[in-house]
Amino acid sequence: MKGQEWYQAKEIADEYDSKRFSRGGQLIDQREKQAVLEALSPVEDKKILEIACGTGRFTAMLASNGADIVGLDISSAMLQQGRQKVRQNGVSNDIEFMRGDAARLPFPDDHFDAVFAMRFFHLAETPAAFLAEMSRVSRTQVFFDTFNRYSTRTIYNWLLPMGSRLYSESEVESLLGRANLTLTDESHDFILPYGFYRQIPGEIASTFRDADTTMGETKVGNLLASVSYWNATVE
Amino acid sequence: MKESLMDILACPLDKEPLDLSATDTESNDDDTEVLAGELTCTECGTVYPIEDGIPNLLPPDMRE
Repeated sequence: MKGQEWYQAKEIADEYDSKRFSRGGQLIDQREKQAVLEALSPVEDKKILEIACGTGRFTAMLASNGADIVGLDISSAMLQQGRQKVRQNGVSNDIEFMRGDAARLPFPDDHFDAVFAMRFFHLAETPAAFLAEMSRVSRTQVFFDTFNRYSTRTIYNWLLPMGSRLYSESEVESLLGRANLTLTDESHDFILPYGFYRQIPGEIASTFRDADTTMGETKVGNLLASVSYWNATVE
Repeated sequence: MKESLMDILACPLDKEPLDLSATDTESNDDDTEVLAGELTCTECGTVYPIEDGIPNLLPPDMRE
């Protein structure tokens, strides 16, 4: 089953946050939020589009930091979760959720200051088309992450029910070039893959995470990282 | 969706402007929240529904 169908099921959407981001998964959530915030800051009054926003983890965070944000997803079940969440948190005034196709975005050229997608490209069957469309609607910046081909993730990647595509650095560089994007910054993390952290309790997870981060700061660590963050500017 | 979103929304197929026809709205402090209705492309006529406050801008070939 492909991600597109997998995340449309209501029962998957209902338990998405609790399944992914409890236990050791909290550390993943924190790291991803930090990556997004660092890449997009300063976010105040910035017009931002999030592709595959899901239940709105980043959408809500960016709105509470003053961004003017649109979250787009293909799954109505995930969006309903997101809409309920932001209404409860009182940040719904700066957020718009909508359903749409990432390859055919409902916006004019160059409308947003920044466009980003987290955990999206591993589910993308036609990454070049998606990246080109993100580049079209962004005036200045495009940010996204990928899961890496030569990493610990390959151990369990083939088992995942939603299918998951892994990328090498040269593939990402070629995709960026074809979408008229210039890489300005990259970082690599998680020698221990997400699947590992999700299985262990939070207090043990932080010990592993400390070791992971320390090793990740070395050259070898960068090569083994399972997740990469790519920050690019529109040419 | 807020009514002011109309300023930026375009038809996903031809990127032309859309017309809003709202059937259920809710007044906020400075904007109107559209809970249900339809968006119609001024050029190609494709209709996009708004349900539970969320516009569905999936092109017709991707709707189930």
